[in-house]
Amino acid sequence: MKKIYLLMIVAALLVVSCDDFLDEAPKMQQSTELTLATYTGLNNATFAAYSPLVSTNWYGASFIVDAELRSGNGYRDVDKNSGRYTVPYNFSYTSTATPALWGTAYYVISAVNNVIPELEGKVGVDGVTQQDVDNLRAECLFLRGLAHFDLVRTYAKQYTVDKTSLGVPYVVITDPAGQPARDNVETVYNNIVADLTEAEGLIANGYTRGGVASETSVVSKLAIQALLSRVYLYMGEWQKSADYATTVITSGKYELWEADEYAAAFKEDAQSGGEVIFDVYGLKANSYDGYWEGINWLTRPDGYSDAAASNDLVELYDEGDVRGTMFVQNLDEAPAGTYWTTKYAGKDKGTPDVSNTIVLRLSEMYLNRAEAITRGATVSGVTAVSDLNAIRTKRGASELASAGVNDVLKERRLELAWEGHYWYDLARTKGSVTRVHYSGAEVARNISADSHYWALPINKRELDVNENLVQNPGYDS
Amino acid sequence: MKKKLTMFLSLFFIGIGFLTAQTQVRGTVVDEEGEPAVGATIQIKGTLQGTVTDMNGNFSLSAPTDGTLVISYVGFVTQEVNVSPTVRVVLQSGTRALDEVVVVAYGTVTREAKTGAVSSVSGANISDAPVVSMDKALGGKIAGVSITANSGQPGAASSIRIRGTSSINAGNNPLWVVDGIPVLSFDNSYFMNTGNLLSSINPNDIESITVLKDAAAASVYGSRAANGVILVTTKSGKEGRASFSARARYGASWLANDNGFGVMNAAQLLEYQRDAIRNVGQDPDNPTSTYYRPKEILSRPLTNWLDHVTRTGNLQEYEVNASGSNVRAKYYSSLTYNRTDGVFYGVDMNKITGRMNADYKLTNNLETGTRVNLTYSEGNDVPMQSLYYSNPIFGGMWILPWTPAYDDEGKHNVKIPENSNTNPRATAHYDDQFAKTYQLLGNIYLQWNPISKVTLKTTNAIETVHTEGRRYWAPETSEGIATVQVNMQNYVQLTTSNTATYNDVFFDDHHVRFLLGQEAQKYTGRDLYDYAQGVNPDIPYVQTAPQPGLIAEQWYTARTMLSFFGILDYNYSDKYYLQASLRSDGSSLFGSENQWGTFYSVGASWNIHQEGFMENLDFVNLLKLRASYGLNGNNNISAYRAYGVYANTQYNGATGMLPSRPANPHLSWEKNGTWNVGLDLRVLDRLDANIDVYSRKTSDMLLDKNVPQTTGFSTNFLNIGSLMNRGVELQLGYDIFNTNEFAWQVGANIAFNRTKITDLADNEEIAYSTDGRLRHVVGKSLYTFRLRDYYGVDPTNGDALFRDEQGNLTNDFNKARYVYPASPEPKFIGGFNTSLAWKGFNLGAFFEFKGGNHVMLIERRYLESDGAQMSSNQLLTALNYWKKPGDTGVNPKPLAGNTTQSNNFNTTRFLQRGDYLRVKDITLSYNFPGELLEPIKVKGLKLYVSAQNIYTFHDVDWWDPERGVDGIGYGIYPMTKSFVGGIELSF
Repeated sequence: MKKIYLLMIVAALLVVSCDDFLDEAPKMQQSTELTLATYTGLNNATFAAYSPLVSTNWYGASFIVDAELRSGNGYRDVDKNSGRYTVPYNFSYTSTATPALWGTAYYVISAVNNVIPELEGKVGVDGVTQQDVDNLRAECLFLRGLAHFDLVRTYAKQYTVDKTSLGVPYVVITDPAGQPARDNVETVYNNIVADLTEAEGLIANGYTRGGVASETSVVSKLAIQALLSRVYLYMGEWQKSADYATTVITSGKYELWEADEYAAAFKEDAQSGGEVIFDVYGLKANSYDGYWEGINWLTRPDGYSDAAASNDLVELYDEGDVRGTMFVQNLDEAPAGTYWTTKYAGKDKGTPDVSNTIVLRLSEMYLNRAEAITRGATVSGVTAVSDLNAIRTKRGASELASAGVNDVLKERRLELAWEGHYWYDLARTKGSVTRVHYSGAEVARNISADSHYWALPINKRELDVNENLVQNPGYDS
Repeated sequence: MKKKLTMFLSLFFIGIGFLTAQTQVRGTVVDEEGEPAVGATIQIKGTLQGTVTDMNGNFSLSAPTDGTLVISYVGFVTQEVNVSPTVRVVLQSGTRALDEVVVVAYGTVTREAKTGAVSSVSGANISDAPVVSMDKALGGKIAGVSITANSGQPGAASSIRIRGTSSINAGNNPLWVVDGIPVLSFDNSYFMNTGNLLSSINPNDIESITVLKDAAAASVYGSRAANGVILVTTKSGKEGRASFSARARYGASWLANDNGFGVMNAAQLLEYQRDAIRNVGQDPDNPTSTYYRPKEILSRPLTNWLDHVTRTGNLQEYEVNASGSNVRAKYYSSLTYNRTDGVFYGVDMNKITGRMNADYKLTNNLETGTRVNLTYSEGNDVPMQSLYYSNPIFGGMWILPWTPAYDDEGKHNVKIPENSNTNPRATAHYDDQFAKTYQLLGNIYLQWNPISKVTLKTTNAIETVHTEGRRYWAPETSEGIATVQVNMQNYVQLTTSNTATYNDVFFDDHHVRFLLGQEAQKYTGRDLYDYAQGVNPDIPYVQTAPQPGLIAEQWYTARTMLSFFGILDYNYSDKYYLQASLRSDGSSLFGSENQWGTFYSVGASWNIHQEGFMENLDFVNLLKLRASYGLNGNNNISAYRAYGVYANTQYNGATGMLPSRPANPHLSWEKNGTWNVGLDLRVLDRLDANIDVYSRKTSDMLLDKNVPQTTGFSTNFLNIGSLMNRGVELQLGYDIFNTNEFAWQVGANIAFNRTKITDLADNEEIAYSTDGRLRHVVGKSLYTFRLRDYYGVDPTNGDALFRDEQGNLTNDFNKARYVYPASPEPKFIGGFNTSLAWKGFNLGAFFEFKGGNHVMLIERRYLESDGAQMSSNQLLTALNYWKKPGDTGVNPKPLAGNTTQSNNFNTTRFLQRGDYLRVKDITLSYNFPGELLEPIKVKGLKLYVSAQNIYTFHDVDWWDPERGVDGIGYGIYPMTKSFVGGIELSF
């Protein structure tokens, strides 16, 4: 019997206690639960959600470059290109050649959706105030609104064209197994407005996140209001668009650039006191920096140089208009005659250079208001022509005597050229693309107002894994 | 967990009911001449309990009255006698082949009793070949085991595939188990090209290697058994008085090159270039031409760059070992120094290995012992494994023969524009790239027979690997800037393995062995890395670098595993065998919903020769039919894949955290279900044959599955997909003569394996992770090349022609269609050997072959470029080009500055059959006769000479046909051939 007792002891020793032996959590990365458990973690996760904005799929390159190449502001130099960006220029969009924005925008949406519900119950812990939490929530809502806004105006028909048509899924809860269907355009816009107005109400006046290199690259209340002005413009809610524009203009925070400041403003590292309300900050140390694929190298005649400016655009500027000098010819080995925008010429940070991409600036507020007024909005003491002339006088362009819708739209093209606006302005105003200076496929030279290209295709890989998703008309699915 | 524990405990105590009466046995063991056998092993059958004879051949022990004693002594037939109070055993010399004991999972088995597909190689067959690591010794020796050298560099790791390849994203190398403990076997290279952890074990310390190929044999290793298991047993003390031996070997090596492969000399290259220039309508003698190549070039000093970067390699090895035993203790110890200087300047490997194996009987039923291996190795090399400018094998072929080797001051010339101003000789001279590795592998065991028929054993092991690495770019080679990178790696693996075995015989014929076990293992890996640019070359260490030039990184990983297992062996009358195993593994690698997996096997065998109806067929010594099925797993994935994690992101001058990977609580093992049917035959006591047929299905294969990006991610790593391996293996051995005077043996093995992808979830095709030229395609082999369809040369004008989508010929590369022409997987592999023994002479030859595989020669894009590369040397084979209308089967016409893409490296042009037959080893040895040595008190003296890889038959336009398992291995250190001579002395 003694031996049996001994055996039992040995056997018991053999079976080691193992309740937590198999738990090995990662140390060099942070688990999702841990990241979202504290205010500090949520703050880190909120700030990080800005990071993909500088991706080459978005403001770091293709969202802007694609739009300009489609709209007729861009041109493809036949001798000087790297073979990149042929799809938007030639409209060779198919279900496998689509804008890359989708995945990146939904990634940002998922990042903020992870944060928003976890903000509950964080007030009072470690001195966190309600306003601290509200500010984070406002940042998340702004990014969610912006991401959906860029998605819906790219992959769907415009609100002003057909608001009952399919928009994009408005995702407010990111479900790992979710296969969300497309909401209609009206629903998407209503959600954008809801998110942005909630953010506007939550964020503290004058708040911007600290500890960053550029304060204009994080959200402020004025940035939310400026985006609301644009969203309402896209919805045809003229009075609201004008009112939000007025709020931003009269805030006194921003000032129109003088003619001699204009070129330098686009080379500024961290903006302040000028026009910029919200921009995306370029830096080589950014995790999402595009490097050779970044907008600087694509728009330089000595870089990949796939995105030149068309003569159709360059010739629109009056003599003396400083905006007409924002183009360069013959830099280094570039062929004579072709123009290249200098809005992304860089911040002198090496080769390739980096630049900021402006998302919202003061001139746009004047232009939004001017357009709204020509379409019926009223703002005391202001007319459409007074708004346009406010800009033109600062650009060395002659003052206009009167201004109708078409004057505003033309001014908008001149002022905001190569900032990703013109294609979407054509889309929402039922315009068409007419390209004279053009080197692409002849079938794609002109895009009529009823073309299916105004709603670009969703990628097949996405349709393959989400059975609730429907392709836009005109593309193979 | 609690349930498992209860089950384990209750199973455990079932065995304890069988207590039987004991009796004291006294006995003597003598040999045929009546001389006492000192140190013969007496074991109670079915237990590990036993003793050894003393100096007079006597022994005594306590044994069950109805038990059987097994008496074994080296060089004699193992005998069994029934227990009785006094026993006298007369040993018969010679070992019957069928009694050879093979090490298997958690035990041993005789050939007659095995049920699974198990093959083994004895230590004698391993230590003769002058190889640095044990994995190299297995190539071609065992049917179905493919050893592919990843490089010819001294100390290089190998890719080992047992019965094909079972996985895309989990690993494919087998589990190595050394003296019962699973060990680390990954390639631990950091700065160096290769690092083989298995080389820490001196091949001469190995007693035997067993390869467990099918599920019946391997499944008790559960979640790590899918790629097969290799069991290594190191030597323990030999019975008898202390013996010492000393060994020394020395050899020289060269690049293997059996097809006259090489690059052009200056005159050939100049003429080739001048032709290429004239072919584009220019004049090579015109100084204003884009390409000015006057004949005057040949009067400049010329350099044979291949000669300049290579040398005669050499290897040397010295070893002393001691072994012996007495009644209570056995020991084996060895100390080895090994140095190999590679055939390229700057490449060498030094290694010191020490081993101490000791076993001690504390009492008659309690034994303890240790296995300790210590290794220090120091390797130096230069950048290879890819087409670096500093890679000597590429630079040596690439640099122009009229580029001088030395500058005006007699220093290594580093103004070599065609090679990015890099001189591989200067790199070897000035730069550092090394690893110093300290390895400890040790275990201690305690074995107890508390009662007869029950054996308890606990083995506890530690394995540590510490590596210190450095890479230094000297100012002399790096435009005046000195850069240093250093790292420290540390791996620790702790293992405890505990088993309880119960052995019994019921009603004479029912033999039962029942084993229960538990194991736990924890692995941690750490790494520190520093990069410092702009260090002071006089103090080339991290702290002399300016701040912006500093990068520091840290890495940590850990994994744990907990297992419970059982084995049941049953045999009836040595005719019918049944074996079953069950293992439950829990692993930290997998998701919380699937942390535990259960694996099992069932095998049966039938010894037909034991049946009554075979009685008249005396010439059949063994006829055995085996069949098995089992399910095991592959857990070879990196840690933490089941965790949802956030990772650092930098933006706007600050740091934040972004979602990096979704949680996957269902992440689980890849599963392998294997059928095996085999037949073993031995006739006339001289012909052995084994044949095995198997089918192996991998399911729940881990793949990245596309998910909607609206979830925030693009892919999830999921258990989807499946793959088949099917094959046949044949192993033959024949003793043509077997007399005392003269013996001649031959052996051969061949194995055929086919892989087929049956399911990739949503995908029809996915790219191979390391090279897009290889694809995984549903319905095809696991690896299939996808390449542009090159047709050949247009006989009318020398253009390169391709086939387009419609199958028509075109000279437009961009219209060339993609095809799936071949696979890098061999259709068959094998080897054959012969050995002749006459008096003291022994002549052995060993051949290895592989066939049906294809290799891709990416380098030829640059070195057979049809004029695209006008400022580099070219291969001799490039001279065979189109010269006049009607030429076919030649290279396209060279065009200076060729932009036709004729040399594009994604075409079938550079794909070749990789079949080879290698004369791997020829060794001649002589053992001096005992009568000559006795007067000088020497027990044995052996001299030998050996030739390795002395000739390889192949058709690949490269140094050597071996290009790694994916057939693409560009820039690798080619295989070498060597001559070695050695002496062994024992006393």
